[in-house]
Amino acid sequence: MAALVVVAVIDWPVEATDFANRLDPPSGTHLLGTDQLGRDVLARVLGGVRWTVGLGAAAVLVSVVIGTAVGLATGWLDGTRARIVGTLVQSVVDLVVALPALLVGLLVAAVLGPGLAPAMIALVVMGWAPFARLAHRLTVTARTEEWVVAARSLGAGPVWILRVHVLPAITGPLREAFTARFVGAMLTLAGLSFLGLGVQPPTPEWGAMLAEGRTYAFVAPWLVAAPAAAVVLVSALAGRSRIR
Amino acid sequence: MRLLAPLVVVLALLVSACGGGAPSSGGGIAVALQFPPRAGYAFDADDGALLTKLGVAEPLVALDRQGDPVPGLATSWTQEGSSWRFVLREGVTFHDGAPVDANAVVTALTYVLGRPAPPRAIKGIGLQVAAEGPMTVRATTTAPDPVLPLRLSSGTTSILSPAAYATGQQPSPIGTATGPLRMTEIRGTEGATLERNDGYWGPKAASARVDVRYVTDPQTRELALRSGDVGFAEGLPETSKAGLQADPSVTFTEFPSARTILLQLNQSAPPFADVRVRKAVTTALDRNVLANQVLGGSALPASDLFGPAVPYGATQAPPAADVPGAQALLAQAGFGPANPLRVRLWTFPNRPELPVLAQAIASQLQAAGVDTEITVGQYDAQEPEVLAGRYDMFLNSRSYLSDYPDAASTLSSDYTCGGSYAIDRYCSPAFDALVAQLGIVTDPAARAQLYRQAAGMLTTDAVGVPIVHPRNTAAEKGVTGFVPDPLDLRPVLPVLAPAG
Amino acid sequence: MIGLALRRSALIPLVLLVASAVVFCLSRLLGGNVTRSVIRSRSLASAPDPAAEARLAAELGLDRPLRDQYLAWLAGAVRGDLGRSFTTRAAVGPEVLGAAGVSATLAILGLAVALAVAVPAGVLAADRPGGAGDRAVDRLGAVVLAVPEFVVGPVLVLVVAVWAGWLPALGWGTPAQAVLPVVTLAFFPAALAARLVRAETRVALAHPSTTTAVAKGLTRRRVLAVHVLPRSLTAVLAEAGPFLAGTLGGAVVVEVVFDVPGLGRLLADAIGSRDLPTIQAGLVVVLAVALVLTLATELLGRALDPRLR
Repeated sequence: MAALVVVAVIDWPVEATDFANRLDPPSGTHLLGTDQLGRDVLARVLGGVRWTVGLGAAAVLVSVVIGTAVGLATGWLDGTRARIVGTLVQSVVDLVVALPALLVGLLVAAVLGPGLAPAMIALVVMGWAPFARLAHRLTVTARTEEWVVAARSLGAGPVWILRVHVLPAITGPLREAFTARFVGAMLTLAGLSFLGLGVQPPTPEWGAMLAEGRTYAFVAPWLVAAPAAAVVLVSALAGRSRIR
Repeated sequence: MRLLAPLVVVLALLVSACGGGAPSSGGGIAVALQFPPRAGYAFDADDGALLTKLGVAEPLVALDRQGDPVPGLATSWTQEGSSWRFVLREGVTFHDGAPVDANAVVTALTYVLGRPAPPRAIKGIGLQVAAEGPMTVRATTTAPDPVLPLRLSSGTTSILSPAAYATGQQPSPIGTATGPLRMTEIRGTEGATLERNDGYWGPKAASARVDVRYVTDPQTRELALRSGDVGFAEGLPETSKAGLQADPSVTFTEFPSARTILLQLNQSAPPFADVRVRKAVTTALDRNVLANQVLGGSALPASDLFGPAVPYGATQAPPAADVPGAQALLAQAGFGPANPLRVRLWTFPNRPELPVLAQAIASQLQAAGVDTEITVGQYDAQEPEVLAGRYDMFLNSRSYLSDYPDAASTLSSDYTCGGSYAIDRYCSPAFDALVAQLGIVTDPAARAQLYRQAAGMLTTDAVGVPIVHPRNTAAEKGVTGFVPDPLDLRPVLPVLAPAG
Repeated sequence: MIGLALRRSALIPLVLLVASAVVFCLSRLLGGNVTRSVIRSRSLASAPDPAAEARLAAELGLDRPLRDQYLAWLAGAVRGDLGRSFTTRAAVGPEVLGAAGVSATLAILGLAVALAVAVPAGVLAADRPGGAGDRAVDRLGAVVLAVPEFVVGPVLVLVVAVWAGWLPALGWGTPAQAVLPVVTLAFFPAALAARLVRAETRVALAHPSTTTAVAKGLTRRRVLAVHVLPRSLTAVLAEAGPFLAGTLGGAVVVEVVFDVPGLGRLLADAIGSRDLPTIQAGLVVVLAVALVLTLATELLGRALDPRLR
């Protein structure tokens, strides 16, 4: 994780072109070869960490904040009207959870056009719902716990109770859900970019690189292999950290 | 491994159970085409041209290999002021058996002229058609039109049987056209089945059956050809050239296309209102490197708006880059190291070569001290902006013929004052006068001369930079007879035959 | 249980109604010049022509107030008429249903292949913890879970169709053409299901009823089949519903890579050409199927697993 952050912060020479040495196979000077513009593939794969991994994480982070806020609110509210609002929100949540991730990406692209911002919006539109569901369930449970009931009877305000008692109790499960959702978000972003609906070339996003490289698969298989391996590696590592 | 073994078994079972998917032989071929029908084979869409390319539907006028009009469903035509008289071929029947006569032609052309957005070839000239005799049709325009026969060579003006128009729905080409191949089945945008029309009036189709598949992805087309799924594929990826040329079972053909990738420069605002800045950009770019290295020879460097696909196109290579020259021009215009020129470059990803070229152009401009910020976005969102002159540089791909082999309408819409697609915002009375002449001159040689002059004028005024002319490719495997058509307007499939 | 089923199924049409209105309005309000996009999707190089755009808008009914457009659509939809495509002018309903059929076939075959591989693998792995099968499910499963479809698809095409030449690279219609997309689609659920089955089987094996059955002298194979398998399948079924729903509209990558005329690709194409009636109909169908399947899975899960009742 720390290594990924370091890689993401460094400015790799992702745009340095060299037309005389295009589609060069891996060698001492270019460890992973060069692409159709003579750019160093290793530099681009490393430069892609910022986009693929960084944007994936950012999208989940925003989703966590929005989802948790919604879940806390609906879970905490009491009374008939609140229950109606809660049911409504929960059915929206059910709806969003049931939607295929890529389809939401397509939809948002349909309305806003392909691009980085629409893809991120799609990820958040998709992403907040599971966290809202989780936070809602945990809050409902926490609300009925003795110590929370006690705090309430002592006159503590809802915001204070939420912040001091409920939020800490649910951060653990939420953090676990974060890692679980991160891989999905990253792969969805890369998939959208692969379909040409997300990050656009020349940005070195892995899905976009893979789509670009597919054209050259016969003469320069490393253009497909390098970003593919990067996607698989990061998603496998994140998956392992989730299980352990 | 336990996971993999059952997978392999399942795979093997499925394979042995189903057998291969290769098309059955018996005089039939399968082809992979690049562009699927856009609107269910509607004539008021590009699909009309597709039907002609397939050899299914025919317009009144056919084209020879030079792009000159030759008899098709009409055998002769004569101009009388602002109208043309077409004499129809005797004894031709539609695939459904109905005869081709003046009434059928009038029905077909009246239908397509009445669509909300009629085909480009015949719109905006006030065209009206009427039967003059059983086999004679008179076509009248508001003003005398020198190229009406060429306009009526467009596949979008093909003639179907009256039965097709009687349904009230969009006319279907199944069993209603006249061409050497008869469409028997439409599989949406996936493909279509064609069978030989044994009653065709001209040379019969070389295959008894053609299985047409539309495959939009170039890589997939190449794979389909290599794996033998299809015997003919067009528009192959740049990188497949060497491999396919080396393969003895494959015949690979490369030919020019009537298309130019243009770096359009916004003349309506600084910095490109200054001709020196436009010339500086032109001078800084090395189009030979862009075509031969960046695009790997899949395009020809452009020195002119028109390329080798047309007789009046430029064939000499453009000059190499002159970076000091470009810097001098920029210095005259007030840009230099202290005050570098910064511009935005927009393009769109639908044609995958555009983002690649945009990168390369930015890096060549960098050498001359121009900072370029690239945005790859959606064409639909960019179009209103560039048309309104709210942009700096726009990398665009443009066909200079519009459905028929004549460039007048492109010159008029793209480069005259107030043209409907005047992205460069060029406005020159001298140029407009030249284009106006194209509305009168009939002689092909004289028109060609006017085209050369127009292109020369655009180059002199540095109206955008013609970057490259993409080349078309096609490959045959187990199929012979392909004839390349740089204009991309003539029938392709009827001459393809199974080999051996 | 029945009350829940009734309540939830009553909610589905309501959700569909709201969603259809939202999609209808958003796609018409935010999408820029729809008629220009439709004309361009029909005739690529056409220059803008306001007069033609106005005529087309009138023909497509886009010049009417938004509310009237939606009500007209809704009135048609209730009668089963989902309108005509802006680009092909064909009736949208049959086109969407045909594509949905293709996607459903793909999804069901994918799931069947995945389960055929995963269930035996998972049970065997749990049967011998630490054995070769267990390790394979662990390691291979972890890798497969990490490999997205847009990596599997192109690699399979390259290896199986091009280098080996065993199967056609693309298309849909013959059984041979279905193999590669189905296998690509099966990768992820196979790995997921194998892990789930293994975990559930372990739990079930440790359950007292299993121990009793073994003590009664039943063969190990029979214990696995009769006592353990049903329990582990419950967990898998809970995941199968969302998978099927997701594949129906979300297998865009597989459908694009293998050129399969499914719903995902139909929608992707329609979005590209701003064919609003097709987008609208496709999304409503995907949504409806997703909602119904989610509910069905949940109910099935409750019916099968007494703990959830």
